[in-house]
Amino acid sequence: MKKYKILPHTADVRLKIEGTTLEELFEAGLQGMNDIIKKEKVKVKNDGGEFKSVEVVKKINLSATDTTSLLIDFLSEALTYSQEERAVFTKVLFSDLDEKNIAAEIYGQTVDDFGEDIKAVTYHEANVVKNNRGNWETVIIFDI
Amino acid sequence: MNKQNLIKITDYLWEIPKSYRADMKVPARVFASEKMLEELFRDRSMEQLINVTALPGIQKAAYAMPDAHEGYGFPIGGVAATSYPNGAISPGGIGYDINCGVRLLKSELNFEDVKNNLEKLAGELFSEIPSGVGRGGKIKLDGKKLGEVLNNGAEWAVKEGYGNKDDLNHIESDGKIENADAGAVSDHAKKRGRDQLGTLGAGNHFIEVGKVEEVFDGQIAESFGLRKNQTTVLIHTGSRGLGHQVATDYIRIMNKAMSKYKITVPDRELVCVPFSSPEGQKYFSAMAAAANFAWANRQLITWLVRKIWAKIFDGSKLSILYDVAHNIAKIEEHYTRTNTDNIQREPASSQYKSVLIVHRKGATRAFPGQPVIIPGSMGTASYVLVGTDKAMEESFGSTCHGAGRQMSRHQAKRMITVDRLKNNLKKENIIVKAGSIRGLVEEAPEAYKNIHDVVDIVDKAGIAKKVARLKPLVVIKG
Repeated sequence: MKKYKILPHTADVRLKIEGTTLEELFEAGLQGMNDIIKKEKVKVKNDGGEFKSVEVVKKINLSATDTTSLLIDFLSEALTYSQEERAVFTKVLFSDLDEKNIAAEIYGQTVDDFGEDIKAVTYHEANVVKNNRGNWETVIIFDI
Repeated sequence: MNKQNLIKITDYLWEIPKSYRADMKVPARVFASEKMLEELFRDRSMEQLINVTALPGIQKAAYAMPDAHEGYGFPIGGVAATSYPNGAISPGGIGYDINCGVRLLKSELNFEDVKNNLEKLAGELFSEIPSGVGRGGKIKLDGKKLGEVLNNGAEWAVKEGYGNKDDLNHIESDGKIENADAGAVSDHAKKRGRDQLGTLGAGNHFIEVGKVEEVFDGQIAESFGLRKNQTTVLIHTGSRGLGHQVATDYIRIMNKAMSKYKITVPDRELVCVPFSSPEGQKYFSAMAAAANFAWANRQLITWLVRKIWAKIFDGSKLSILYDVAHNIAKIEEHYTRTNTDNIQREPASSQYKSVLIVHRKGATRAFPGQPVIIPGSMGTASYVLVGTDKAMEESFGSTCHGAGRQMSRHQAKRMITVDRLKNNLKKENIIVKAGSIRGLVEEAPEAYKNIHDVVDIVDKAGIAKKVARLKPLVVIKG
């Protein structure tokens, strides 16, 4: 099951994510965000050469006042690393995750180019709650 | 919330009274025609404007411009002023793209002089000026240099030879906010900005070569050095990844610090702290640094454009008409009213002046006599306006900033075909060079409000007057 869905918004991109555990929810957020920024097709370079992608691993350690802030701050930090390293992150391993703290490693690949420029992960409309299926869910709006 | 909750003040100014919601500290005011109001109620921009009226220390009213649309926290196309120095400063009232703004260059040449070389000009502008998502530029800055850019803005660029001293006289705040402090900008932000100086970016950012199609006020146009058929170059970009990171960093910091100041907000994107608090002061220094980065960025792009222009048109020169920020907070002196419940307009002389922290998010400074540059949606028209005394009385010296989006990017992609867009642009004889077809469709004119309607409202409301309309000839996009 795909744990995220990209929805339209007037000036931005809205992502709906769901997970049976907080780990799943955070991973869905990371994968959804990176689905937005990655380029649809891999471009062949002008000189005909192929872009050599390398693996990138980054540590994220954060604490926040609540789970919603923790999720947004986690995704913001991952986005920052995407921009700094020119990489797309798709996997996350948690060594610690509770409602206010996270310690994790994110894994990704460097990319030749991005498909979309996310300026920021916003707190707007984000609210991590348990839905009637007993799963964690929230909407996240990205400023693009 | 609907139209019935609005009080009509004039045909172009409406008010939601303070009594509408218990937490409103001042009324909300909207510059719009009756027809446009319908559009404004289609999204949540009015609800967001009402949320803004609850900010600590807000003065007089929260304003929405006719190009307003739903943002995050603040509506885009909003103005809010708080009392100095203890009123709130809110990064959401400035936006993620700090000092996103526009600069208009005017040429010595008329359309007839350039028309045979437009294709060549478009090609060179597109290949020489880096644009596109996360694309880096040719200038890589080390830590020390970047610090100078952040502290000194366009002044740094001119000192390094990327322009002349007179350029600085034609930039809002002379292209440098004095209290900027590179030390308040995080390492993450600096890392993101390191190679982005002199780059356009993606999204709605662009370079547009145009011609003066119509002059509305001959006298002011002449004093601005504008004449019919003259060619112009419009540059629309901001502080790139560096500014986005500054906003992200301080929204996070304020989210944690807010409770210390016993501030609660109806929307987390409205997080704020007292301007005079350590967090408020540090954010303002970082915001100013990001604003300076944006002014240096537009100065470097100007330098690149001038080089190409001179090469193609035999040494011909481009001078700056003006450069305005439309995502920024400024410390300014304004008239405020003693009695905010009194909705009757009073002459400025009967009011008193006070120092305010003016947040403009998707709004442009419009001080009396100052050129105001309004970029239109791709392939329609852009405008040169002039600021007015009335703007000082009615909107803290502010006016609209552009057409304002009305269709989501997703919706635009679904409804507008690439072929139709290309045909329409071709019919108008507009040359477009874009890095991404997807990006092009997202920015199609149909996705925006009608720029002519938006400009007509601010003109009729008197918060800026029309001077000239520019027709695009070449559009360069990321």
